[in-house]
Amino acid sequence: MSTELKIIGTNVTRPDAHDKVTGGKNYPVNFSLPGMLHTGILRSPYAHAKIVSIDTTEAEKLPGVKAVLTPDDVPQRPFTPVYFVPAQARSMVQDFVIMSDTVRWVGQPVAAVAAVSPEVAAQALELIDVEYDELPAVFDPEEAVGEGAPRLWEHAEDNIAKHAKFEAGDLEAGFAEADHVFEGCYQTQRVHTCYMEPRVCVAEADSRGRIKILSSMQHSFGLREKLAFALGIPESDVNVIKPDYIGGGFGGKLDIGFIEPIASLLALKTGRPVRAQHTRAEDFISTTRNPIKVYLKTGVKNDGTFTARYIKSVLDCGAHATHGSEVIMVHGLYGTFFPWNCPNQTWEGYTVYTNNMIGGGYRGYGAPQGCFAVESQNDEICEKLGLDPIEFRLKNTWREGDPHPVLPGHELNTYRLQECLEQGAERSGFRNRGKAGSGSGIRKRGIGFACHPLWVSGCVGFPDIYEHAGATVKLNRDGTADVVSACVDIGSGQNTMLTQVVAEELSLAADRVRLVYADTDTAPFDAPTHASRATYSAGTATRAAAVAAKKRLFQAAAAVMEANADDLELRDGKVAVKGDPSTAVPMTDIIERAESPFIQTTEDGPAPTTLAEKGTIIGTASMAPPSNPSPCAAEFVEVEVDTETGEVDVLNVVYAHDIGRVFHPKSAEGQVEGGFQQGMGYALMEHIVFDPDTGACLTGDFLDYKMPTAVEMPRNIESIFIESIEPTGPFGAKSLSEMCIIVPAPAIANAIYNAVGVRVKDLPITPEKILRELGRL
Amino acid sequence: MTLNRLQHYHLPDSGNAVIDLLEKYPDEAMIVAGGTFVHGLAARGLVSHVEALIDVSRLGLNFVRTDEGRLWIGATTTFRELLESPEIAGQPLFGAIRDALSWPPPQVRNAATIGGCVAAACPFFDMPVALLALAGAVSAQGRSGVREVPLQEFYDGLFENTLKADEFVIDMSVPLPTGRAASAFAKLETNANDLAILNAAVLVSAGSGGTCDMARVFVGGGVGETPVRSRAAEEVLIGNALTAEHFVAAGEAARNEIDPLDDHRASAAYRKAMTAVYVQRVLEKAAARLRA
Amino acid sequence: MKELLTIEVNGERHEVAIEKSDSLARVLRDRLGMTATKRGCDTGGCGCCTVLVDGRAVYSCMTFAKAVGERKVTTVEGLVREGELDPLQQAFIDADAVQCGYCTCGMMMAARQLLDENPDPSEDEIRKGISGNLCRCTGYSKIVDAIQLAAAAGRPA
Repeated sequence: MSTELKIIGTNVTRPDAHDKVTGGKNYPVNFSLPGMLHTGILRSPYAHAKIVSIDTTEAEKLPGVKAVLTPDDVPQRPFTPVYFVPAQARSMVQDFVIMSDTVRWVGQPVAAVAAVSPEVAAQALELIDVEYDELPAVFDPEEAVGEGAPRLWEHAEDNIAKHAKFEAGDLEAGFAEADHVFEGCYQTQRVHTCYMEPRVCVAEADSRGRIKILSSMQHSFGLREKLAFALGIPESDVNVIKPDYIGGGFGGKLDIGFIEPIASLLALKTGRPVRAQHTRAEDFISTTRNPIKVYLKTGVKNDGTFTARYIKSVLDCGAHATHGSEVIMVHGLYGTFFPWNCPNQTWEGYTVYTNNMIGGGYRGYGAPQGCFAVESQNDEICEKLGLDPIEFRLKNTWREGDPHPVLPGHELNTYRLQECLEQGAERSGFRNRGKAGSGSGIRKRGIGFACHPLWVSGCVGFPDIYEHAGATVKLNRDGTADVVSACVDIGSGQNTMLTQVVAEELSLAADRVRLVYADTDTAPFDAPTHASRATYSAGTATRAAAVAAKKRLFQAAAAVMEANADDLELRDGKVAVKGDPSTAVPMTDIIERAESPFIQTTEDGPAPTTLAEKGTIIGTASMAPPSNPSPCAAEFVEVEVDTETGEVDVLNVVYAHDIGRVFHPKSAEGQVEGGFQQGMGYALMEHIVFDPDTGACLTGDFLDYKMPTAVEMPRNIESIFIESIEPTGPFGAKSLSEMCIIVPAPAIANAIYNAVGVRVKDLPITPEKILRELGRL
Repeated sequence: MTLNRLQHYHLPDSGNAVIDLLEKYPDEAMIVAGGTFVHGLAARGLVSHVEALIDVSRLGLNFVRTDEGRLWIGATTTFRELLESPEIAGQPLFGAIRDALSWPPPQVRNAATIGGCVAAACPFFDMPVALLALAGAVSAQGRSGVREVPLQEFYDGLFENTLKADEFVIDMSVPLPTGRAASAFAKLETNANDLAILNAAVLVSAGSGGTCDMARVFVGGGVGETPVRSRAAEEVLIGNALTAEHFVAAGEAARNEIDPLDDHRASAAYRKAMTAVYVQRVLEKAAARLRA
Repeated sequence: MKELLTIEVNGERHEVAIEKSDSLARVLRDRLGMTATKRGCDTGGCGCCTVLVDGRAVYSCMTFAKAVGERKVTTVEGLVREGELDPLQQAFIDADAVQCGYCTCGMMMAARQLLDENPDPSEDEIRKGISGNLCRCTGYSKIVDAIQLAAAAGRPA
């Protein structure tokens, strides 16, 4: 199959690269409309309080202020703001309103203004007088479930937003069978996706109250659905314009923000277009990766075979459940329970309300937290029992052809974890590493690895999650193709991937395919750009649309060529009877003919054509993908630790991933390298910190929230892609993006252990924590 | 957007004009030059009272020169201008200055000024620690003329200096010791665009026998509201050979002398431990320069 | 109260009404409609707003517009000369250094200063040269590749 591919698997130029290097005019942040107003949002300084009164008189008097919004102006319709589930999905918690009379976290919107400039809007906020009645607050999820803790919501006794449990086998018997039992507690921290483009939107209402909105979101249809619900208007009264591209997302733009409904309400109120944009400090308190504390108890035989595992996960969702009720499930299913083949297991998960900021989606969606716990403990087990860490992983995971551990009726068609582990070990020099802490000198080196045996290519099989996708492909008379797709390019190359799919299917050069304007009025539904799904899911549907267009092309060609449509093939831009190149006709001739007048005047007089060949060559598809194949990956990391300061230098990284099919080698490497930057930040430095007394965010900009720059990043990151060619995937594809961020943290933790012989079980692994473990503090 | 009260942006062209403006807005004015610190303060709501900015970059205060036995650095000299200045190039004495200026990214080096960095009295800045080690002084101009303030008397707490209401910084100066001396600076940070979690600078000189006859040891970056001098470390060094064992001992002495801040970036205990390590390491660096 | 500012951007002089507190980024983006210069954090932490002032990279979000004076501002809009991309722009495309691309313009301006002053930088010098610019997509590897590629291609004639 691969020998026939001409576009897939090559480094075609990204269709939006030229635009971006010359200024990137089409980012949502650059969108403006004549007469546009600007929004300011007043936010709560208290972590928990009842609003007694809001006086907006002075703000309304300020010249340039056009409208003020308070909770009284906002429909009180609780919903879940997560784009990829229905607003009232039963698996989720509906506790979200745009503004309410109770504030539950520092930063919750209390009022908003629309003014002629951002400066006037900011001044107006200072003139709004809010009287609060402060309530007791709780910031630790384990305290929040305790007796006498302040309660956030009527509907949540003990502040538990969601409790879930999976069981398999007989846990007690499994532990009885074990030769050794390992217990540990692994804590992860709250981090931010740190997309570079702040969240922004522009909303406009027409004279009938219909909203048109452009936003920096990762999902057009989800925004339409949630915005309509929040405003209490029909979905068809919202049209979401898909941006050509956005400045990063990583899951951080998967919720409806406060800005979209606020801007829409202000647009309705003023009759003018309204823009709202986050400051970076507002971004830092809007959607984060939920901290999860994982209690992990594992029973193993002397040979390393798992006999039992008990896992308890406590997730801090903050003041609203939002993604928290789904993240905990994915964390349980794909982050801890099913990746590993253990006969007797119990997992319990708790999503707990606190007066912290809300969580959200972030690349990996519960798995980075789970993988850190499990792979840290796996390393401890191998170290203690003297087991070969690679054999140990292979003994306790899955094999190609096994039934899919989560999805009934599906198999692991393609599954090459062994190759990932072996090739990664080979390239990284893992087998030659020293014993833990055995190096000499102040700076000590170590190599460690982590793998993740099970993940997704989309959401087929998950309750309540949209997964279908669609596209329309139209062939133009000049031999180009236009693609209408609602799939948002968040930076990871969705536009490139969709063009490659269409170009490959229609034998066009990649630059002959264009992604064109799309909005929710005109494009078929597409699920969000999330869950490593775009290539597998949107790629499948877009390929189907291209196939439909090709079918239409063959119908027209059949009439012109006096052949049977089923006998035709498309190669190098020409339609020909299969096996007979002499019959080849350029596809542009067919397209032109299909769109030409029915009767044309020729040198020989009027010449009628046939009805069958008439009509634009166009194809549409809307469908769910056939399966949800699992990628798997392993990452090997070499670090150097300064044993006097605790500082960690990451020197080398080798990442091996069973990807199915590589579409674009450089982009694929880019996912690995960028994923490592985020994973390394997660492992070593990133942390949203709050004032323990007030709940206010202390890390509201990049002076305080630290992520790796080019200087801290390792010089060598090697990507190995195992192309297993998944039979259900478009051109054999599975998925890539999220795995790249799931494995770095435990790989780094295990490498640090190998370097200095101490293990830090709560992220981030700061120099200070290492020094404390080394007994030097 | 927390420069909401800002009404005036002045670009005075003389020192007297600056003083006039300082008197006109006794509590509402702020001096700026490179502007690299204002927005960080603004985002934290710390300059919401400011109604007037007084930009001193048109006063001709960007110069670096040596005379009267001192190195003079004009207040609006940028990090980059000083770093590239032949006056400090290659000399072991100014090692600490070169070290400190090499840390920030280009955008900061190109814009930030030495005077702004010193006058801001931010405990996490680098140049103040380097200049303190070099026994620097500040020249402040006010209605009654220019006065010299030793840097050690300049700082008066978090973001506080001892300038009078009508005064502003016009230059910094550093004495040139008669003997051979070397300095060094180092910084602990999380990424390459960070404020110091801890920093340290030392100045040492040695007589002909290799015995240390002068030492100045300063630690900053959150070890206190202002940088801290470790006289205990200096005492360990003076009269002894500049060798590894004394550097370790000096580090320990400094560690025992300080009482650092505890904040979300580092605990006091960690800052104490790092004080020992960093004092030792900068001493090694300075001694190497002295030997070179 | 607005006032009139004269400013030279990419060789062209503009007269523009500004607020006193306007940063250079605000003037470029919102007063002159030159949106290549991005707004990412407003506190000099991300580097998306990097432009050249007299050939030197600065954070335009922290540069007060009034302080620019007679100095010459260069933005990404000024990199294209006679329809030809700057070697850096071409190299960013060729090396696949552009993912979401939001950091790209600021990153290229930091790199432009670096290459103008040091046409043959080492990898460490490149990394230090862009240490004031954050990227969340690429892990910087392809960006370093792109700058090396542009260095190899040399300056435009």
